[in-house]
Amino acid sequence: MKLSKPKVALTHVVLVVFSVCFFMPLLWMLSTAVKPIEETLKTPPIWIPSRLQWDNFPQAIAYHKEELGYLPFLVYARNTIIVTLLAVAGAVLSNAIVAYSFARINWKGKDFFFGVTLATMMIPFPVLMVPTFSLFRYLGWVGTFRPLWVPAFFASAFSIFLLRQFYRTIPMELSEAAKIDGCSEFRIFTDVIIPLSRPALTVVALFTFMGSWNDFLGPLIYLVDQNTFTLSLGLSAYQTQHGGTPWNLLMAASCLVILPVIGVFFVAQKAFIQGIATSGLK
Amino acid sequence: MTAKVSLALAAIAGVLVAAVALGEMVVTRQGRPDRVTVLYWEKWTGSEGEEMRKVVDAFNRSQDRIFVHYLSISGVDSKTMLATAGGNPPDVAGLWGNNVTKFADANALTDLSQMATDAGLTSDYYIKGYWDMLVYRGGLWALPSTPATVAMHVNPDLVPAKYNTKETFPQTFEDLDKMVDEVTQQKDGKLLVAGFLPGEPGWWHWAWGYWFGGSVVDGDKITIDTPENLRAFQWIESYGKRFGNTAVQSFQSGFGNFSSPQDAFMTGKVASEEHGVYKANYIRIYNPKMHWFAVPFPHPADRKDLAGRSILDQDVLMIPRGAKHPKEAFEFIRFVQRQDVMEGLCSAHGKNSPLQKVSEAFFKNHPNKEIRLFDSLARNPQSFHVPKIGVYAQISDELTNVFQEISAGQKSAKQALKDAQTRLDTQWEVYKSQVLTK
Amino acid sequence: MNSKRDTRIGIVFALPWILGFTIFMLYPVISSFYYSFTNFSVLRSPKWIGGSNYNELMHDEVFIKTLKNTLYYAIGAVPLTTVVAIGLAMLLNTKVKGMALYRTMFFLPTLVPAVALGTLFSWVFNGDYGLLNQILTKLHLPAPNWMGDPSWAKWTLVLISIWGCGQAMIIYLAGLQDVPISLYEAAELDGARIVAKTKNVTLPMLSPVIVFNVIMSIIGAMQIFALPYVMFPGGAPARSTYFFSAYLFDNAFQYQRMGYASAMGWVMFMITLVLTLIALKISERHVHYEGG
Repeated sequence: MKLSKPKVALTHVVLVVFSVCFFMPLLWMLSTAVKPIEETLKTPPIWIPSRLQWDNFPQAIAYHKEELGYLPFLVYARNTIIVTLLAVAGAVLSNAIVAYSFARINWKGKDFFFGVTLATMMIPFPVLMVPTFSLFRYLGWVGTFRPLWVPAFFASAFSIFLLRQFYRTIPMELSEAAKIDGCSEFRIFTDVIIPLSRPALTVVALFTFMGSWNDFLGPLIYLVDQNTFTLSLGLSAYQTQHGGTPWNLLMAASCLVILPVIGVFFVAQKAFIQGIATSGLK
Repeated sequence: MTAKVSLALAAIAGVLVAAVALGEMVVTRQGRPDRVTVLYWEKWTGSEGEEMRKVVDAFNRSQDRIFVHYLSISGVDSKTMLATAGGNPPDVAGLWGNNVTKFADANALTDLSQMATDAGLTSDYYIKGYWDMLVYRGGLWALPSTPATVAMHVNPDLVPAKYNTKETFPQTFEDLDKMVDEVTQQKDGKLLVAGFLPGEPGWWHWAWGYWFGGSVVDGDKITIDTPENLRAFQWIESYGKRFGNTAVQSFQSGFGNFSSPQDAFMTGKVASEEHGVYKANYIRIYNPKMHWFAVPFPHPADRKDLAGRSILDQDVLMIPRGAKHPKEAFEFIRFVQRQDVMEGLCSAHGKNSPLQKVSEAFFKNHPNKEIRLFDSLARNPQSFHVPKIGVYAQISDELTNVFQEISAGQKSAKQALKDAQTRLDTQWEVYKSQVLTK
Repeated sequence: MNSKRDTRIGIVFALPWILGFTIFMLYPVISSFYYSFTNFSVLRSPKWIGGSNYNELMHDEVFIKTLKNTLYYAIGAVPLTTVVAIGLAMLLNTKVKGMALYRTMFFLPTLVPAVALGTLFSWVFNGDYGLLNQILTKLHLPAPNWMGDPSWAKWTLVLISIWGCGQAMIIYLAGLQDVPISLYEAAELDGARIVAKTKNVTLPMLSPVIVFNVIMSIIGAMQIFALPYVMFPGGAPARSTYFFSAYLFDNAFQYQRMGYASAMGWVMFMITLVLTLIALKISERHVHYEGG
């Protein structure tokens, strides 16, 4: 849509206003992250601190600090990386395979099962919460990381849907040509389909990454020992500390927590948008 | 599949396997081959956790058969309950005193009666009020780790000269109200200083009725809608009426966290505050220069028999049912009960001691200058603890809700209490039929 | 085409999901349905009590309150975020300079962990010194006590939901990019201006995406948990911010009433289903599918 000059200017104005609104809380976060503690809760709030305490960042990460009460940020980070890595790997692997089945193989019951898959997206998590918890308890997995990444290896409805839509945009002739060449279904999958579906797989990886990195409820229910906490849960430990909530450190820690996600998003942005567009989510 | 791709895949697979292995290592129970490992889940983190860790280390050093492994757990009560249900509980769980009844009802605890009697830990070893919290339906279900009592903390700089000493500060609620009217300042409807605010810190909303001579449980019945409770909550209602609900709420929303330099009492926004023996810890950290003293929380003018009381609070150590090493677990708990160990721990936490006997050194070296007051409050036979009823959690939540409804002017005290009574009666019936009947 | 062979291979490829579905969906759904008819207090095996839980739910004042709170929130948040998301997507679709930057800015808040977001907004909405009230007072507008007043607390969450529209916005943006320019040109030839173009071209072409996002939005709104958990513990003040999932969570893990919690989950499911079907029914009249 080509717009006239004044309309372009107006659009810019609106976008800038909204961007500022959206960005303001994050700006506040950054501002608080570099404040000395006395200035964090002042009334009225201070935007620009009297001095930039960059020291807050290493302090937020520090372990065995008196005031912090043993908030092992790096330990939380390590745990989150482990869980997220496994979840993303599992998601990409399993969803790629399963979606392929729904999209490219003609088998009896395919449509029915896909319909069921879609229906499961509607089941609210709380319905599943109690029995799933019981299940993991029965398996002895509560207190471990397994409930947080093992299910990712069994595919998920949303990603299956996304990938299936995408796979269907790849012409069947390619598969058929490969079949004539004598390729097994699996070869077709790995050699023909996978290379073509990078954008869509990136989307799946990105969504899974974001979901896992910021997951709060899962770790809340399944993780027990503080040393096994992930970042999202660990941040809340800053809050409930008996020795006082060091707001500036909490914000510094939060900044650090979202940095990787922002980084990944920025880099993968293009592939991301392209992936969603071509998956024909319509 | 080219060699390069295969190599890349192998590398990825390797990383994943390493991640799984690392993940498993992080969560395994670290045990020692030469000793019996006792797993201890405790709620404390920070400096309180460190003090307990020192006790654990001391125990581990003092003998060579048992090794206690200390773990800091959030949500330790529900996690312990769930772990016990799953047949895999810790050996020692550091919970709250008000968990005892619920856990005992659910058959989740090991009865310590025999082991305690054998060790000489009987009712006369402890202050009566604290011991009372541990026994229920014929069993002893826990032993203390650290107790607490509650008193009125006063900032003499903010009250008129006629009230600003321990002897002259108001002792009854009626006198307190007079002081509050004199001290509280409002400008353009906004509160600047308050003499007292029932909402600070807002931790003991179940107790308001008790301060006025009532209770929330009487035998087998829940007694919320009673004259004493009504009187208590109408007294609370009066704060909103005198100063305006919105003004009070707005004022309170500006308070910082209780353990921060912006705490209401420490920044001079309230002249007096109901708080626990550990308040002194925060004052020491965040505003050591401030003047303050402590007196017993007020009583109604017509009930002199209720003077000098306190809420009795307690952190306890329990052994869940199905613990792998109950005997060794008890050895550790017994160690904590030793007078010198207990006094050391309580002093380090800034709390009073639950033991009947207390040493002069404890008082002399204690970081809280008012420790003698807090100790005497614990020994007052009229001091009270949470009701020993399995639905305490619901009662507490319900009364907090009542407090908030009244403070927001949503309901009258009478109506709020009536509604709470009805709800809790239902909850209690359900609990009785579902948990208490076999 | 060997159909039997295809079926075998198809099932093999779909195996992870079939297994996953059975273990993590089917089994929990069936058990939670079963639990909802029992008294399951964790330490004992579930005891059958028939429809007692459901009966109790119907009379549970707190449950009804959480139901109302959740519905208010959904009714507030879903239209709001949809309008903002579509609006922003349309603005971004004009290929202005710096699109990548704007896109990231709008998407950022969805990446922030609940705890940080909750703490942040607790300050912004603080009745005394919060940013929002500072602005409102400067503009001589009423500045209610957002965090402390039961009549206003819910609406903080509704307003905050706007910050979460980044994900939907990206999906709308992708959808907009698929709208054939030819349609806009045809409309322009007919003399249509912005509003008419939006009404007659953009929205209809976007409608399948809108349906998808609205349904996802409804489902998400019904399950809101993390932000209220951080900003308003216990549903304070006076349970005005106590939502479905929080009450379910408390019943399951605080009061150890897992049977009751399961019944609650099912009621929530039914309500979500009804809302979704309503949304679908409404959409049938308005949605335009481009060749399925």
